[in-house]
Amino acid sequence: MARVPILRQGDVLIASVLEELRDSDALALQQQLGARLEQRATRGVLLDVSVVETVDSFLGRLLNEIALSARLLGAATVVVGIRPAVAITLVELGLELRGVHTALTMEKGMALLRRLLDEGARRGPYAGG
Amino acid sequence: MPDLPSQAELATELEQQRRTISELQTPVIQVWEGVLALPIVGSLDTERTQETTEALLQKIVDTGSEIVLLDITGVPVVDTAVASHLLEMVSAARLLGCEVLIVGLSARIAITLVHLGLDLSGVVTRTTLAKGLELAFARLGLAVVRRGEPPEPRPVAGAGAP
Amino acid sequence: MGPTPAAEERLPIAGETDIIAARQRARELAQQLGFGLVDQSRIATAVSELARNVVRYATGGRGEAALRALAASPRGIGIEIVVRDEGPGIADVAQAMREGFSSGTGLGMGLPGTRRLMDELQIDSAPGRGTTVTIRKWRR
Repeated sequence: MARVPILRQGDVLIASVLEELRDSDALALQQQLGARLEQRATRGVLLDVSVVETVDSFLGRLLNEIALSARLLGAATVVVGIRPAVAITLVELGLELRGVHTALTMEKGMALLRRLLDEGARRGPYAGG
Repeated sequence: MPDLPSQAELATELEQQRRTISELQTPVIQVWEGVLALPIVGSLDTERTQETTEALLQKIVDTGSEIVLLDITGVPVVDTAVASHLLEMVSAARLLGCEVLIVGLSARIAITLVHLGLDLSGVVTRTTLAKGLELAFARLGLAVVRRGEPPEPRPVAGAGAP
Repeated sequence: MGPTPAAEERLPIAGETDIIAARQRARELAQQLGFGLVDQSRIATAVSELARNVVRYATGGRGEAALRALAASPRGIGIEIVVRDEGPGIADVAQAMREGFSSGTGLGMGLPGTRRLMDELQIDSAPGRGTTVTIRKWRR
């Protein structure tokens, strides 16, 4: 059974997709992230999809939903590791994932989260850029 | 009588030449650490957009760049199709965490784009490559300084657009 | 040299695991046929869309995907996937093919996107007759 381990690093949740996600796995991830975001003050979510070879309209929209609901719960989401072939395919499908921040690597993703959270802190109470 | 090239040989040679022209027309250049430049010369059809986007994304991965200066000075006509293709490139690069700045816009193109009613929110543009580079440096927290002079104090390092 | 023509490979679609199996097999076949990485992704994603339609909307969520290499054709080498089901069918195929992900009941959703990813897409569907979607892509 494919699972997505979710780890906490300070005020950031890190979810790493380990293998191709079935629809039910993806929905479970969405639920689990939601639950963890409710539990404790979380300001960032890092979602690593570098292992994923195929992102179709279902998963694409789900990633967007995860980011948008995380924002409502006060957290910024960065999706990391979208492959070039996946990016091109998503765009051709008409999915731009505008609600999602992205980064090439985990390291860049963390740096981006830090920048987003710093800017948010400077601007006012609404975090999640 | 000398052997004439076969149909298959001609087709292969044609394909190779086409690829060479394609590569020459859309070179992706690293102008600074983290900054790529992509000058587009000529028109942009679907196939060329796909090839250019693939080359661009691969370069982004290879260099870890976070900013691309897409220079359209050499694009003669910007209609709905060309504009859509440009926006597709922007979207694809964005999914790799890379921001695309479109540079080389003329007033004529600006008016055309607005007239076409395209959603250009979130697309940052500048009129020249130089201005785009200046913005790229600002985003990266860098400044170009004449020797012997201290850099101007900046209110916040790397402050980008809101 | 080239792929041996057209043995048709049939994969059952009966649940969400089969969506992944079908698209991975399509990706493998595409790779064997010499399609580049991006085209492999397009093909796998298209198959994923169609297979998901079967699981979601077909009667009993059951259907079948038939994969085939196309070799003896004027267009060169290509791949063909035919996804069939015995479901309720699409009432208005033209409507389903028009842009708009958020339209209607969801039946046939993803078809315009799939069309964009592939070179050819044909639908044979009517209420009560089930749906057969044929997609093809050619190597450049």
